[in-house]
Amino acid sequence: MAAPVNVDQEDEIVRLSGIVKRFGGAQALSGASLAVKRGTVHGLVGQNGAGKSTLIKLLAGLHQADEGQIEIDGIAYGALTPPQVEHLGIHFIHQDRLLVPTFTVGEALFLGREPRIAGTPFLDRKLMRQKSAEILDRYFGLRLPNSALIGDLTAAEKQIVQITRALLDGPKVLVFDEPTAALVRREAELLFGLIRRLRDEGITIHYISHYLSEIVDLCDTVTVLRNGRDVATLPVVGTSAKDIGTLMVNRDIAELYPKPQVSLGEPLLQLDRLALADRYADVSLTLHKGEVLGLTGLLGSGAKELVRTLFGLESPTAGTVTIHGETVLCPNPAAATAKRLALVPEDRRRDGVALDLSVTENITLASLDRFSRAGLLDRAVEKRQASALIERLQIKTDSADALVRTLSGGNQQKVAIAKWLSRQSEIYLLDEPSVGVDIAAKVEIYTLIGELAERGAGVIVLSSDIEELLGITDRVLVFFRGKISRDFISAETRPEQILAEVTGANETLRHAG
Amino acid sequence: MLVDTSYPPPSLDGFNSPAHAAEGTPKPVHGRSLAAVALRQGSLAVFIGVLVYFSFAAPFFLSIGNIGNVLGQSAIAGVLAIGLTVVIIAGGSNVVTGGIDLSLAANMGLSAAVYASLVQAGYGDGLAVAGALGTGLLIGAVNAAAITLAGIVPLLATLAVMNIVAGLELVLTQNTVVPAATDFLSALSAAGPFGIPVLAFVLLGFTALAAGVVQYTPLGLRLYAVGEFPEAARAAGLRVKLFITGAFLASGLCGGFAGILSVSYLSGSTTGAGDMLLPVVVTALLGSVFSRRLLPTIGGTLLATLFVSFLINGFQLLNISSTLVSGVQGLLILLVVSATTLLQRKGNQ
Repeated sequence: MAAPVNVDQEDEIVRLSGIVKRFGGAQALSGASLAVKRGTVHGLVGQNGAGKSTLIKLLAGLHQADEGQIEIDGIAYGALTPPQVEHLGIHFIHQDRLLVPTFTVGEALFLGREPRIAGTPFLDRKLMRQKSAEILDRYFGLRLPNSALIGDLTAAEKQIVQITRALLDGPKVLVFDEPTAALVRREAELLFGLIRRLRDEGITIHYISHYLSEIVDLCDTVTVLRNGRDVATLPVVGTSAKDIGTLMVNRDIAELYPKPQVSLGEPLLQLDRLALADRYADVSLTLHKGEVLGLTGLLGSGAKELVRTLFGLESPTAGTVTIHGETVLCPNPAAATAKRLALVPEDRRRDGVALDLSVTENITLASLDRFSRAGLLDRAVEKRQASALIERLQIKTDSADALVRTLSGGNQQKVAIAKWLSRQSEIYLLDEPSVGVDIAAKVEIYTLIGELAERGAGVIVLSSDIEELLGITDRVLVFFRGKISRDFISAETRPEQILAEVTGANETLRHAG
Repeated sequence: MLVDTSYPPPSLDGFNSPAHAAEGTPKPVHGRSLAAVALRQGSLAVFIGVLVYFSFAAPFFLSIGNIGNVLGQSAIAGVLAIGLTVVIIAGGSNVVTGGIDLSLAANMGLSAAVYASLVQAGYGDGLAVAGALGTGLLIGAVNAAAITLAGIVPLLATLAVMNIVAGLELVLTQNTVVPAATDFLSALSAAGPFGIPVLAFVLLGFTALAAGVVQYTPLGLRLYAVGEFPEAARAAGLRVKLFITGAFLASGLCGGFAGILSVSYLSGSTTGAGDMLLPVVVTALLGSVFSRRLLPTIGGTLLATLFVSFLINGFQLLNISSTLVSGVQGLLILLVVSATTLLQRKGNQ
């Protein structure tokens, strides 16, 4: 591991030192420091609860520190307000893109500082149009039709518009808060190119992310937060994602992927030349009892659509699905559930759990018929079942009656899985099960997947995190342009082999290798 | 994600690669834009179709005199609907949690009563105008305070204020007609150039003024931002509550102004102002189907006002029972709200 960096004081554009922040009784930050050097990309990582977002909110002027000092450009400030921070040239690119969906690109870019037709109180729409087209083209080579509304743009394009908004003010520092959360990998790569270019133009970048690989890929320096303190600031050259990960958690990264040895049982699910219109074709596979099967592929490769088909959200146009040796048709999710299939969707906050129902209600939601007598719910049985699952999955919640909204992302995901456990499902379809949760929760989810397999269920995991897939599955199937392009034995495969297959093999392998 | 391998080197060239060009060109979400276009074109087609039908069925329908009359008769509803449109823009077009001002019709009634009472009491038109506008503004201020300070949703806040205002009107007028006749009032209700009522010109002028501010100034753009996506407006440094307050003050002022027009039109203040509420809400909601982005606009509201008025006028010319009018208006609300709600839901997917 590399030695801590000695930053030349004069070259620091942002310096937070000895920051202490308490919320009620909880200590969010206990003496955290952060020094960002001018003209660099500086990463900030830490598990959920490490104090990342508190630190950033302090810098944004949204919270005030109890102790400690903030220096910007060498000048110390006691308390900052958001307009003051902006005035000092520090701009924030938020995770959710704060742009009005019904506005044109020009309107969104200039909102709050609209140009007027000289001598009138009226908007100069023509100028807004021309200038925004020019700026987007010059900075990003992005050409959008004049009539394009924000709501029509892709997540990546929206992000570009938001960055451009910040650039119009001539910022000194851009703070990116989890910018890739909603981007597919390809879009994320474009964003990284952009960030590097902004740095080369002299803008200091502060980059906060869950994804260690991004930090290693992109940053010059990284600060690791743990339990409200900065535990290390390292140059990224000579540091690996594993080193950083080890600093973030108090456990060895090797324990990240607990994979029990399970001997495979009889075939549970068989697909024979399944096809869906122009999405995928000729998909044949077998899932055994006790097997964890990984699927991966780029957006549009067909992997996601296959999972949707299995759960009855799409109707296949050819081929057969066999469960327990019996050919079945699942025209809708209800039919799929009856065949003891379970889907844990990617967007758990929208599709996976009911945020405003309690943990108990969520867990029993998919199997209310098992808890009903004569049409009435048997609350006692419901409660017993829920408590058992809460304990078994170690769902961290104040009580079984707490709203799911109040749980952390990882625990919400566990509730989403518990819902199907209580239904005694046999085939689990997990779509990006660990996205957006911290490392500790990831490990717990992986452990849970292992347990499902041990109990004789078949699990299909769809994920774009290749290392995760190799760590927790028996086999990985790579989808490319609607076909299974290759079948890997997880234990014998290195991530770069899968990456090459996912991205269309050899021409990309040159870069990735 | 703990992938140890590096990504393929990102480069800006990627933006121009064919693959991106395909996914980068904003593909309008098809279901939505097609349906939106269909709704807008369809509404225009229905509007024109209705006009054409009436002009064949009742030859008098498309005469300058009749059109002028319809415009004049629409003035009061039009001014109120424009006030409501401003509130819907600033509060967002969600029918339940968004901007709405149910107190507008009652506001008009009370403002008219204030005007007529002041004239009755022997005060001049100047003071009466100030009284009516002041009444409207005050009602707007109460709405704004209930919504921005107390945090009550506009639907409930303005419902409560509507009842208070209607009650005050009863107290003031003892539920009777208060006649008022002054030179100013008669000038306002007289016929102007080409035999078209002055009120018609008032409506057009007021619409032009409101459209100028709302559609063509930075203030208007910001109003839309505040209503459509308050977080984005806040991030752009706008003070959201200030805009909402301003919108309710503007709508209150519209209520007061409509009160003056109604005193002139009816030669006094009469009871039953509350009956205006339904047509005004129909009009303001209907207006958004005439805009490209399916947003409420001042121009769209004018078109909707005329549509509703022509419909009523046509019914009268064809001797169709006027009791049907209210039903037709209710039907229009259902159609428009369900169409725009469905489209919004699609857009959010």
